Amino acid sequence: MAELRGSHGDQPNHILTRWFGTPDLHKLEVYSSKAGGYTALRKALVDMAPADITNEVKTSGLRGRGGAGFATGVKWGFINRDAPGPKYVVINADESEPGTSKDRYILENSPHLLVEGILIAAYAVGANQAWVYIRGEYDEPYRMLHEAIEEARAKGYVGPKPLGKDYPLDIRLYRGHGAYICGEETALLESLEGKRAQPRSRPPFPAVKGAWGRPTLLNNVETLCTVPWIVNNGGAAYAKLGTEKSPGTRLMSVSGNVRNPGVYEVELGQTFRHVIMELAGGPPEGRRVKVFWPGGSSAPVLPESMLDTHTDMEALAAARSMGGSGGVIVMDDSHCVVRAAHRLLKFYAHESCGKCTPCRIGQDWAVRTYERILAGEGSQVELDILQRVSDGLQNGRCLCGLGDSGGWVIDSTLRHFREEYEDHALRHECNVGKVMASA
Amino acid sequence: MPRESAGTPLNTALSAHVLDEIKELPAKYPQPRSAVMPALDLAQEELGHLTPEAMTEVAEALQLDPGYVEGVATFYSLFHLEPVGRHRFYVCTNLSCMLRGANEIVDHVKRSIGVERADQVSADGLFSFEEVECLGACEFAPMMRLDHRFHYDLTAERIDALIAQRRSSLPPLTPALSPEGEREIAKPKRETAKPKGEREAATPKKVTAERPRAPRKKKAADG
Ligand SMILES: Cc1cc2nc3c(=O)[nH]c(=O)nc-3n(C[C@H](O)[C@H](O)[C@H](O)COP(=O)(O)O)c2cc1C
Ligand code: SF4
Ligand code: FES
Repeated sequence: MAELRGSHGDQPNHILTRWFGTPDLHKLEVYSSKAGGYTALRKALVDMAPADITNEVKTSGLRGRGGAGFATGVKWGFINRDAPGPKYVVINADESEPGTSKDRYILENSPHLLVEGILIAAYAVGANQAWVYIRGEYDEPYRMLHEAIEEARAKGYVGPKPLGKDYPLDIRLYRGHGAYICGEETALLESLEGKRAQPRSRPPFPAVKGAWGRPTLLNNVETLCTVPWIVNNGGAAYAKLGTEKSPGTRLMSVSGNVRNPGVYEVELGQTFRHVIMELAGGPPEGRRVKVFWPGGSSAPVLPESMLDTHTDMEALAAARSMGGSGGVIVMDDSHCVVRAAHRLLKFYAHESCGKCTPCRIGQDWAVRTYERILAGEGSQVELDILQRVSDGLQNGRCLCGLGDSGGWVIDSTLRHFREEYEDHALRHECNVGKVMASA
Repeated sequence: MPRESAGTPLNTALSAHVLDEIKELPAKYPQPRSAVMPALDLAQEELGHLTPEAMTEVAEALQLDPGYVEGVATFYSLFHLEPVGRHRFYVCTNLSCMLRGANEIVDHVKRSIGVERADQVSADGLFSFEEVECLGACEFAPMMRLDHRFHYDLTAERIDALIAQRRSSLPPLTPALSPEGEREIAKPKRETAKPKGEREAATPKKVTAERPRAPRKKKAADG
């Protein structure tokens, strides 16, 4: 069994991780007998009409956990169930947002949870075939998910007549090959079609013209893993958890300078202070939280003074950030914000697919500017360039969110840590102790 | 891994049974083009990296344009277009790992296998390394993938133990899955593979600038 660094066991707010830690939970037999697995599938296929399932998901208020937070039930409703010809469910298991490890945590602990969620979703939207796009480096999760699907096939849950219902269901896996942009839904579809992963312009949206030109429902792993609970307990019960507009729980992978990094299931609306200081144990002895990324590296940063920000999407939007992928990266006061921003810009520059100019040129430009600043060659000019590049990357100037993400890193670190940038660029010193080499 | 025996050149072309397997792939997808990456996987699994000959053969087997296949191969970092060590370190240096000492881990790996850059292979042909972006296991930082396994909570001692283990045990004859790589390779050197000894001798000379990382490459292949 994978090492459990995070939530597991019976706690009032554990919906996804309630059974994590049960020995052999990844086996169908244990998932069924101990964790009540596949009861939701039975209920969905035998007792519910497809529209009822979608309605329960709508009632639950569940919002996508992949990054954008779009209402899941509404998305399901976009698929015309009666359109002739094949329709697909595509599962985004590309998980590559820096600081995010929650989907891996699920896949390694309870792969059948995903299998069950996928089957229910496919039935609800009128698809017979699902494809899981899983990142290529996830060898172990791939193996575990593959075995789970084969177990479900042997049991007949995947196959021509699942649970006696005359509704064929199949799940296949497709491996990614190392490109962050494949997490963006339309780039993922391009990749699945055997192409270079460059995002498509929308419309048409995947619900109308998705994988291989067919209507496609695209959801994140965690999103679909929440569905069996909703089917079992009802959408209204789910809606009672969390806040009104961000109901339920979500997995937050807390990493960086904390004593107990791990993947924690958090009821939305809790504060980041709770997540970082209590669940993850706070910074190491003698250190303070300096800054944190509340939703993966793409979410604008928040300083220590904003630890009491709530985890729901509305509170984060009010704080000029976002819930993103649920990855909480914590940095303590022994680290330099400018250096961290530089590292992330290198990431965005490296992963830019090159399709739009502001992103292709801008991210590289930012990296070079950071390099000058960190080499002690900065001035006001460099600070102005950073702001200009940041503005150029944001607000719809790029085709997909990767462009904005780089811009947000620059913009939010500049906004909250102006002084630290000025130390570097204007005074050629770094306030975390190290005097810069050429200063 | 490259199929090799002392003194004979590395294979640069695919064997008949692999090509047969590749020809069966397109039927498994709603549209045949989706087979291109699984096919490149099979090719890389056999040869260790994607030679120009192999990419051309894949293209022919799938009835695609060779330029198209190469365009796909250069886009994705897990396809290698140049030889790699028998064991490859993929050390995550993204933020969560960096905050917990990933850069020191990279230094230690480099020192221990005796290479300076990601495009080098260790003198014994056993190891190469690459710095990679977040691998989705940030709660175990610093972490890395060595061949097909994740290793967590890295320390210098752990790295040493992993290296010693691989030096002492006989390397596997065939890899479990396709090895994976990086996209350092805008203009793959069109050299046909050399005998093993020669490759080792040549390695230290292959000095290129440190920063020709991917975006340019991806973009270079755009047009
Ligand atoms: C650059 C970029 C990277 C993304 N990476 C991922 C990812 O790794 N996993 C994921 O589920 N969603 C990712 N997304 C969000 C997806 O585009 C999409 O919104 C999501 O998968 C939809 O599923 P959901 O509605 O269940 O959240 C990414 C978006 C962008 C712009
Ligand atoms: S914003 Fe960047 S990653 Fe997204 S489509 Fe444009 S160039 Fe590609
Ligand atoms: S940052 Fe290293 S695994 Fe995520």
